[in-house]
Amino acid sequence: MSTEAYARLSANPYRPWPARITSIRDLTETEKLFELRLIDESVRSAFEFAAGQFVEVSIFGVGEAPISISSAPSKGGFIELCVRNAGDVTSALHQKQCGDIVGLRGPFGRGFPFEQMKEHDALLVAGGLGIAPLKSLINHIHDERHDFGRVTILLGAKNPSEILFRKQFDMWKHREDFDLIMTVDTPDETWDGEVGLVTKLFDRLDVDPENTYGAICGPPVMYRFVIDEMREKKMNVDHIYVSFERRMKCGIGKCGHCGVGHQYACVDGPVFNYWEAMNLQEAI
Amino acid sequence: MDKSRLPDLVRGLSTEYEVVGPVSKGDAFVFGVVEDPASLQLDYTTTILPPKKYFVPPAEELMSFSAASNEVTSAGITARPRVIFGLHPCDINALMLMDNVFLGEYEDPYYKAKRDSTLLVGVSCSPNEHCFCNAWGTDEVHWGFDIFLSDLGDRYFVSVSSVKGADLLDHYVETRHTTPDDVTEFQRVTRHFKESFASAPVDTAQLPLLLDAKFNDPVWDELGDKCLSCGACSMVCPTCYCFDVKDKLSADGETGERVRVWDSCMFSEFAEIAHGHNFRGSSASRVKYRYYHKQWGYLSKFERVLCVGCGRCERACKVSISPRVVVEALQQGGAQ
Repeated sequence: MSTEAYARLSANPYRPWPARITSIRDLTETEKLFELRLIDESVRSAFEFAAGQFVEVSIFGVGEAPISISSAPSKGGFIELCVRNAGDVTSALHQKQCGDIVGLRGPFGRGFPFEQMKEHDALLVAGGLGIAPLKSLINHIHDERHDFGRVTILLGAKNPSEILFRKQFDMWKHREDFDLIMTVDTPDETWDGEVGLVTKLFDRLDVDPENTYGAICGPPVMYRFVIDEMREKKMNVDHIYVSFERRMKCGIGKCGHCGVGHQYACVDGPVFNYWEAMNLQEAI
Repeated sequence: MDKSRLPDLVRGLSTEYEVVGPVSKGDAFVFGVVEDPASLQLDYTTTILPPKKYFVPPAEELMSFSAASNEVTSAGITARPRVIFGLHPCDINALMLMDNVFLGEYEDPYYKAKRDSTLLVGVSCSPNEHCFCNAWGTDEVHWGFDIFLSDLGDRYFVSVSSVKGADLLDHYVETRHTTPDDVTEFQRVTRHFKESFASAPVDTAQLPLLLDAKFNDPVWDELGDKCLSCGACSMVCPTCYCFDVKDKLSADGETGERVRVWDSCMFSEFAEIAHGHNFRGSSASRVKYRYYHKQWGYLSKFERVLCVGCGRCERACKVSISPRVVVEALQQGGAQ
């Protein structure tokens, strides 16, 4: 949603809109996928977002937490949030039932440059919970697949039980229009896939550097290593996109908590290209 | 305006507005309600807290909610008509820096309501030993106030910067046209003011670039070792705007208020995210970030540094860290 559209709808950017939980799916022991629907129809129809943007979810009495949107912008009327039970708000959210109301503000921040990425190959790399924001981009590309060249997805997780959306991605392994490779640090008896860090998978990739956009989401430690691999493949610094997790409390560039270098992740990011990120102190 | 007319103006304003201004508190000065024009201390040095408390209170209710239904029950935005009387140029400049944040993209309705209902009457000052406003050009203010009074001894040289300001002068106080002698005296007073700063101005040469070039300099570790992470510098700063948001539940747990409170990037958990990773876990990284943001981050967005040289942080810091000390430390090495 543009700032103007937001202003029209809400004279108060701090006031959450009520949204109903319409579905809850257990993904792993610590992550659940929530589907939300904004209750007010005019708000719902104005709620447009880009892959990579986030919302602030309120559980009144506990607080607010920034959570990236996992569903594709093309999925109208509903948004999906993949939430790890990690803090006060997310823990309270995990207690909620289908039909319960939560507060929702957003969408906030700058997402992935979807239009710019069209007509190119895409190399998408996620580690752990990083798949939460990247899933929105993957789904969006899926919905407009004919606008993209080759699409490669590399997924890393600590162990097989921590792979998010595993059922879906297990099926995708057989698709011809997506090159999907999953890898885990520690395999178990159910695992017949790759073992090791996602960076290991780059050896076998054939990348057309002039014609490829990269997107990386994962734990802070992962970025440098994956970027090094992409640079090794001669990809341009401004064709590599990263999404930063910071403590975005207000979402609107005021509270200061998500400062990264001379920018705020909430309004200037959370998605930055590597040229921008390498010029942000302490970003990577 | 003749100085003897000042009480007329204050009394007149009091009929329409709550008048706040510098009043004595022990040996110090604070902005407080002016019940009687005689309590107004216009020759004050610097107040302990800046006037930001009238626009972003230390704790402010944003909305009340029902925890049971998980919905907002009210989010009323109120502001009382108020005049802040006797602001120094640094504090007026500081408010304009705050405006960039709160009145820019995603306008903050709580701040805006208070800003819209508050009139600013500035007054000229004399620099004290902590003042370094001349480093940033914030020793002068050319707009952003309603009325500004420059002290010429027995009279004030009055600048008016808003229709409201002009109306109030018309209504409540007798003024006269400026004479060439007034202008000459204003020039003399201004020159004296410029020459009366105690120390050489802060050396701001290439500061943003230096902040990047010396990002990993040991100077930050030395400052970090001294810093107590108490956050006093942020609390007394007229341009520090960071806040935290907390939900306060009533005793029965049914209802509550969402409140925003002053926060500081000096506090250890400021940049911590949900599962415990702290992007600025060391006090050195926090001191560095505070200065990096003020002297470069904010500058990159709004073309001004986020400091007006009021010296409050220098007074408040128990271990003598201040912009002057930090900038001097960064500039070292380039001296002839």
